[in-house]
Amino acid sequence: MTAIEKPVPVVNPWAKPFWDAANREKLVFQHCNACSKNIFYPRIACPDCFSDDLEWIEASGKGRVYTYTVVESNAPSAFVDDMPYVVAIVKLAEGIQLLSNIVGCDPHSVVCEMPVEVVFERLNNEFTLPKFRPI
Amino acid sequence: MKGIKDKVAIIGMGCTKFGENWDMSFDDLIIDAVYEAYEDAGIGPDDIDAVWMGSYWSNLPAPSQPLATTLKLDYKPVTRLENMCATASDALRNAVYGVASGACDIALAVGGEKLKDSGYSGLPTDDLAMGLVSTAPNTFRSRNFTAPSHFAMMATRYFERYGLSPEEGREMLAKIMVKNHRNGMLSPKAHFRMPISVELVLKAPMIAWPLGLFDCCGVSDGAAAAIVVRADMAKSFRPDPVRIKACQIAVGPSEGYLNPNHDWTMVKETWVAGQKAYEEAGIKDPRAEISMAEVHDCFSITEGVIYEDLVFSPRGGMREDIEAGTFELGGELPVNMDGGLKCFGHPIGATGLRMTYELYKQLQEKAGDRQVKNPEIGLSHNLGGTPGGCTISVNIIGH
Ligand SMILES: [Zn+2]
Repeated sequence: MTAIEKPVPVVNPWAKPFWDAANREKLVFQHCNACSKNIFYPRIACPDCFSDDLEWIEASGKGRVYTYTVVESNAPSAFVDDMPYVVAIVKLAEGIQLLSNIVGCDPHSVVCEMPVEVVFERLNNEFTLPKFRPI
Repeated sequence: MKGIKDKVAIIGMGCTKFGENWDMSFDDLIIDAVYEAYEDAGIGPDDIDAVWMGSYWSNLPAPSQPLATTLKLDYKPVTRLENMCATASDALRNAVYGVASGACDIALAVGGEKLKDSGYSGLPTDDLAMGLVSTAPNTFRSRNFTAPSHFAMMATRYFERYGLSPEEGREMLAKIMVKNHRNGMLSPKAHFRMPISVELVLKAPMIAWPLGLFDCCGVSDGAAAAIVVRADMAKSFRPDPVRIKACQIAVGPSEGYLNPNHDWTMVKETWVAGQKAYEEAGIKDPRAEISMAEVHDCFSITEGVIYEDLVFSPRGGMREDIEAGTFELGGELPVNMDGGLKCFGHPIGATGLRMTYELYKQLQEKAGDRQVKNPEIGLSHNLGGTPGGCTISVNIIGH
């Protein structure tokens, strides 16, 4: 049986700067110059005020685990070999939130409110994924 | 006045046995459920004016035509619909709206699903799900996320918010599923008719921390159906029709994983659909006025959070009510009398009508050993999707 390959991100044109930055091991998000909101995931226009005057800024990469789970069972997929792995909601210092994985630690040591920082994992020649590890 | 309260009544229902029905096709299941409903109502296919049929994963793509052919509903208006795991509840809502509008007098709602031929347990993988709902944000919703893990993240946050240790939290949730199995043991058509104990739940293999195997419902094959008519006609079919009090659906904006304001200790869509249904049905004090409920216990934490979102329990109050036995069969507000998704089984596109089937039988005092004493009002809650992006149906029926 051939190994199932992990799915790769679908890159919309307006989200390309995010993935390009990730390849350079930088975590970026959008900021609305009209209403000063920070925005994630990438949008064409600000979801609060609909302005398209958005700029990309680099995140501190620091945040905390809001909630999480440890995946210990999965249907046949490319992720079975990774189990157990942690899926978490990470709230960044800049007030935005990402769904990501907590890596570089015992999965069962993760708790809510744990401080974490971004770390980059190369998926293939094209993509690098931002993940998080305990500080 | 806005709303459909008391305009439509159910005069017949059917439900197959849920389970691994290897010897039955999707068509067989649908036929069994619908013909039980015909027999119950004392009518036949010729009497039906319009049909709404739901299925989610089965026979994709499943247009209306083969389903209409299966039931020999020649030249009738037949519509196939889906609304994820709330599909059958939405089939009922559409049929009720068809009758309430005056467009037809007698409508049939059907839901069915054939899942056990997939070759593995559980739902089709995330890759397939993402293919079906491929939208830009999904790339940012994590690809290595399983269905149980979406719900597990509610449990970890709930424990954190209300200061429960993992052991205390897991034991609290285990009691919900022990109750549902105890009830489902009394349901001849249930899929998993076995007693379970708190100890068994806690020692079961972990699926997505903190949810173990028995915190998760399985999937099943099955179908269920309802025949609805104008309320003023109902008593000409049977002496004990059941009236529709409210049919509400709330569909969320599907960005809970990315919206920093999203609260993981509640499902906002449930709260909204519940409030709208209470308003439509004229219910002021849900805990006091609702006699019984069938709710979407896809995972133990889901049922717990539903108690709070439907205002059966105050925020943070699920533990006290679980300990007090409030939702047990003989309790103050019985929940999942037939065993729920956990014990009765979960054929995705049939589940909502299975819930209505139990409420309907209870209201007619035909629930056998599961009979709730003098029920007046029954509520069904059906969840499609996951916390952070879901469709919630709340239907209320009664005398
Ligand atoms: Zn703005």
